[in-house]
Amino acid sequence: MSSRTVEYDVGRNPEMGPGGTLVASPAVPFDAPEPELGSDTMLVNIGPQHPATHGVLRLVVELDGETVVSVVPRLGYLHSSFEKLGEYRTWNQVVPLTDRMDYLAPLIYNCAYVMAVEKLMGIEVTDRCRVARVVCMEMDRIFSHLLWLGTWSIDVGAFTPFLYAFQQREKVYKLHEALTGARITTSATRIGGMMADLPDGWARGVRDFANNLPATLDEIDGLLTNNAIHAGRTQGIGAISADEAVNHGLTGANLRASGVPYDVRKDRPYYDYESYDFEVPIGCHGDCYDRYLVRMEEMRQSIHILHQALDRLPSGPMDVEDPRISLPSKTDCMSDMESMIHHFKLITEGIPAPAEDCWFSVEGSKGELGMYVVGDGGPKPVRWRIRPPSFVNLSAIPKLAEGHLMADLIVINASLDIVLGEIDR
Amino acid sequence: MGLDKPGILGTGSPAFLTTRLDFVVNWARRNSLWPMPFGTACCAIEMMASAASNFDLARFGMERMSFSPRQADVLICAGRVPYKLAPVLRRIWDQMMQPKWCISMGACASSGGVFDVYSMVQGIDTIVPVDVYIPGCPPRPEGLIYGLMMVQEKIRGESLANHAALRAEDPLAAGRPRAGNEEVTDLTGPFGNSTHQNRVSGLVETDAIGRAEDRLP
Amino acid sequence: MTHDASSGDPLSGFDLVAAGPQRSREGPETAARHHDVPPGNPTVTALRKQFPDAVFHNLICAGDEDVVYVDPGRITEILGWLHREADQHYDHLADVTAVDYGGGKPLEVVYQLWSIPHRAALRVKCELPLDALEIETATGIWAGANWLEREVYDLFGIHFTGHPDPRRILMPENYAEGHPLRKDFPLRGRFSRAEQTRRALTQNPEDYYAAGEIAGRVPQTVEVDGGDATGEEGGGDVL
Repeated sequence: MSSRTVEYDVGRNPEMGPGGTLVASPAVPFDAPEPELGSDTMLVNIGPQHPATHGVLRLVVELDGETVVSVVPRLGYLHSSFEKLGEYRTWNQVVPLTDRMDYLAPLIYNCAYVMAVEKLMGIEVTDRCRVARVVCMEMDRIFSHLLWLGTWSIDVGAFTPFLYAFQQREKVYKLHEALTGARITTSATRIGGMMADLPDGWARGVRDFANNLPATLDEIDGLLTNNAIHAGRTQGIGAISADEAVNHGLTGANLRASGVPYDVRKDRPYYDYESYDFEVPIGCHGDCYDRYLVRMEEMRQSIHILHQALDRLPSGPMDVEDPRISLPSKTDCMSDMESMIHHFKLITEGIPAPAEDCWFSVEGSKGELGMYVVGDGGPKPVRWRIRPPSFVNLSAIPKLAEGHLMADLIVINASLDIVLGEIDR
Repeated sequence: MGLDKPGILGTGSPAFLTTRLDFVVNWARRNSLWPMPFGTACCAIEMMASAASNFDLARFGMERMSFSPRQADVLICAGRVPYKLAPVLRRIWDQMMQPKWCISMGACASSGGVFDVYSMVQGIDTIVPVDVYIPGCPPRPEGLIYGLMMVQEKIRGESLANHAALRAEDPLAAGRPRAGNEEVTDLTGPFGNSTHQNRVSGLVETDAIGRAEDRLP
Repeated sequence: MTHDASSGDPLSGFDLVAAGPQRSREGPETAARHHDVPPGNPTVTALRKQFPDAVFHNLICAGDEDVVYVDPGRITEILGWLHREADQHYDHLADVTAVDYGGGKPLEVVYQLWSIPHRAALRVKCELPLDALEIETATGIWAGANWLEREVYDLFGIHFTGHPDPRRILMPENYAEGHPLRKDFPLRGRFSRAEQTRRALTQNPEDYYAAGEIAGRVPQTVEVDGGDATGEEGGGDVL
């Protein structure tokens, strides 16, 4: 396992022990006995329309003075019934739904969905497609982390990194647009391949982005990492130990910040991730600050993977050469009778899947993104289930926020990197 | 606006000018619209992109995103609105002060978009009155900026003469749907191919409803 | 992508379309769904040995995924054993979900497990007949099961006995149309759009916002007077 602890030259809060154990919680300002005021706890409602909840999350908070006694997240304010809708679509028609679910990393969702369906159908995609999807997924991991970085910095009280991060995000928007024609809702994948081959010069564009990003990351690093306000607001806040993090089902950077090196790309590698050279950063305190460090390092590792993938991007066909799976080219369709018939059958009937079920998980930007697809021999899913990483991550927030201050709750919520489209589905 | 032209307020001219009250009120209103960003889903990300440096909403006097409805002029509903969120949207609209405008950003807010399902409001115009619809899934930032400019155009045409008629609010209408039952049915009827999206195996009756509260009323 | 259907392919394009996609690697036949496949997975072997009468059958899906069908009455016992036993140690509950196949078939509850130390996956399934949609909760084993099970209850109507907070999670608490992911639930809901809109707007956002309810102490519908609540929005204003 090539994983390493993130090492930054930062002073730690002396009240925090390793493994996220709180030696003395900084959230409790003093140990003096509570004066008998006979006061009740107070309820404060945050959301569903609140700038700091990253969407339409609603948190009902029970406060004792300024200390959080309990948090009850209330969900469902963005329940769009993706899973039900998917049962009424053919396998390929589900793809546009996937990117509306996590609009922060649409390509990861596109890829994860078709990878699950391809596994169910037993389709092996071409080498070029495998590498192209790795490029797409790593690019969108950075894309999502950049948005997280921007909103996170706003939540801890810094506005400038938001503008820096969005400048870099605009470059990814342009790459999305060149690849698919859309800035966010990419719908780039199809079963057995991609919507289209990579456009000319696209790989060079990704390379430019990967080359230019570290400078911005360094700049934001300089603004935040050793910033006393940032460190003071995040160190020792929302800490969770490794065992508890695993027990709560945390995945992704939230789990790795607690010191568990579980990364789907390493532990159940797909698309030759075992042959890429990258490291899985892990933290040791499990607090908000470590989650920040882990994500910053993940972006750098993703840049590293991007370079390797672009180096090995083979030429050749993008889609599988199977007329029952891939659409024929427009030219063939207009000149060749058989291609026309394949096109007609594929569009009107779709691709049948065996009556089996299949679980496929990838390392999404928010955590382990699982796709569970059940076929019944027909061209539509019986069940399409997403294992939503931020849904499970958010379910730990009552545990994380307990005993902290109200202002820390906002930071803890930001550190989990949630996206409501995928929580509520 | 003509104010900076020499001769009006330039050197040597008198320190006053005459204009129509409508013009100056509308000029003031339309150039400092404070949006109330009601961002729910993908469109909200494009709204953030519009506010960020590349598109810079501040050029239009709209950089001051007002997260408090009481201090906002234009409600930008960016993203899909499920039924669970509908009373929240209506309440925020009711809390906003007149004069106020509403932008429905994106296909889902305008018509339900692809989400012709049990949980989604089929167009926020059944809940609140909408001034400008922005198409797209999601609209580009340029689309949002164009929509905001259309609101500005709309304000330009308003007059204080019919202000009461245009801006009066019935307090009893607060919290109620904007559209009547027939209109909702009309607005939300299936269109396009959505009527053909039946799943044959999904419509088999299972008699699975064991509990009384699951049955139709 | 272009393709040439006639090059070296004995079947014509028509035959290929009619035959449907062929599996390009070895996998179980679709008919294998409901009969036993010899267990190759050490966990499955150990599980069969430990619970000979509670493990009904097992199979391999999609090439390499082990699925075990177990007795729903003993689910916590089995999951607890899988979690606790040092040789198994399935410490990461990836997912809890359910599948409705329609046509009156039993609902399946699906537990997707992963062992971080052993790097092994296992899918445990229970079949619940439609007239007995009850299963014991796994929240005592994994805290992460809490919301996942609430979601399954909300969308499928499967009751998890012993669950600490057995409420709906995604749909409104007073949602009257049923459990949406069931096959007999129509895509556009049971009520008309006008009725759905009316019902939606009669919800008070300040409902379910009371001290007793916050810790899940009062599990079901609570009617709260709107005036009591203080909050970001609404703040006592009667509109």
